[in-house]
Amino acid sequence: MTSIQLDLVDDDAIRFQHNLVQAVAEIDALGVAIDITALEVVDSFMARVLNDTASMVRLMGAEVVISGVQPHVAMTLVEMGRDLIGADCTFNLEQALARLNERISARGDAMAAQGAGNANYYLG
Amino acid sequence: MSESSFEAITGLLAARQETIVREWSEEVLRAWVPRYAGLVSEPVLRLQMSEFVAEIQKILTNHEGGELPAIPAESPLGAHIQELSASRAKLGFKTADTVRYVLGLKAVLIQHLMADAGDSAITASILAVNALLDQLGMLVTEAFIDTREKLIRQQSQSIQELSTPVVRLWDQVLLLPLIGVIDTQRARQFTESLLVAITRHEARVTVIDVTGVPVFDTSVARHIMKTIDAAKLLGSRIILTGISPEGALTMTKLNISFSGILCRTSLRAGIAEALQMIGQRIVSGVGT
Amino acid sequence: MPTITWDEIQAVQETADIMRARTAAKRHAAALGFGLADQTRLATAVSELTRNVLLYAKEGSCAIAHSTTDGFTGITIRVEDKGPGIGDLNSAMQDGYSTSGGMGIGLPGSRRLMDHFDITSSPEGTCITFGIKKRNG
Repeated sequence: MTSIQLDLVDDDAIRFQHNLVQAVAEIDALGVAIDITALEVVDSFMARVLNDTASMVRLMGAEVVISGVQPHVAMTLVEMGRDLIGADCTFNLEQALARLNERISARGDAMAAQGAGNANYYLG
Repeated sequence: MSESSFEAITGLLAARQETIVREWSEEVLRAWVPRYAGLVSEPVLRLQMSEFVAEIQKILTNHEGGELPAIPAESPLGAHIQELSASRAKLGFKTADTVRYVLGLKAVLIQHLMADAGDSAITASILAVNALLDQLGMLVTEAFIDTREKLIRQQSQSIQELSTPVVRLWDQVLLLPLIGVIDTQRARQFTESLLVAITRHEARVTVIDVTGVPVFDTSVARHIMKTIDAAKLLGSRIILTGISPEGALTMTKLNISFSGILCRTSLRAGIAEALQMIGQRIVSGVGT
Repeated sequence: MPTITWDEIQAVQETADIMRARTAAKRHAAALGFGLADQTRLATAVSELTRNVLLYAKEGSCAIAHSTTDGFTGITIRVEDKGPGIGDLNSAMQDGYSTSGGMGIGLPGSRRLMDHFDITSSPEGTCITFGIKKRNG
């Protein structure tokens, strides 16, 4: 399981995406929680990076939960256009991890990866 | 007073109508153009002014006896003035600038009358008194209206705040009863307060009750959809209650997908559903 | 009568400038007493439009002004570039139209976020003036 805390990023966003999917591949992650509490502005570019990342992670066979969307960011996003972010969302990282656990335990391959353990990945 | 007492003015209006309208429009446009460029059309203004002067002439010519008649609001002149103020107000004109329209004519007419009378020493004084008091009068009106507008703004603001309370129903359950007309500004405001409350209380479920929304049209539906989407981004679910048959029809016409939106017939049912989501239940006290 | 005072102008040449521009916009909005929701939507629009500058014109500028009209306080932003311009402005203002493979939501989305939004574009460049306002008191 990989948890990501990312700070204000822009060009770094692409690098973050790349690093994240690499990490998912390396440790055969079952679930990814992306916490964006620190993001005060999410424009369509950032939304797309997040969405693409979520899709890539899902394609690689892992679950994704996004957490910590700020209320004003949420307002702005829905004003810009519906469904800018398609992934499952929770309030905070803790709930995101709980949600991931829930989903992973419902999967058939959960036992196979039992030994993998947790890895934390920080960008910055 | 005899009827002939108005001869000077009626004569003046008959003889020099065009000059008067021209001077009047110049006077008014001098004040308006810098502030409301693009909102005033000179030909239209002149046309209005010619009609205005003609009406005044009629009143001065046709009155009975020596006294001036009151100008009722329903009379052509009264209606003209009302229509004019209303349209200027909608265009965002200041009170003083709107009043200047009428006062402008007064200044022009007095100037002409004085010139005809021929005593330049008194003319200057009367003009000065006239101009000064007109200005003061405008200031009085403006201050009065400003105060009243401020009051109205305060009241509408407090109505707005009162009408969108976010109620904490239970741990992690919020209630937003929507009452009254929903416009973009209000939608933005209640969405913001709801989202902030959701984050603060980490609410997992919010019941939005629209029983008190009189008109559930496409724009209201769109606003509520945005609120629901935004709440979803935070990680909270919305239960929508109290949609009328008309409201349901609108939503269907809008082609809004209901996947992910939970609707319940009544606020009661919505609250029961919300509590069940967080593992709570209302039970009768009897027998426990 | 609206009076507009330009407070700050900065170049938009590299991606870090996007962040600089939106942070500046947010700071000005906060200083003028706008709430967090308004700050966020302004910063997001600045972010979208300055990114467009880099994407389509390589470089440009972003200027921030505050304005006061009777009873209103406003903040106005002008994002300009000397790029090739937008060929089909009408289409560009529609959701989902993009010539760069993006989501096609930057222009129409930003317009939805703002209280006023003006765009002029020619082969000599593009200029977008937009902003938010609020009632005083």
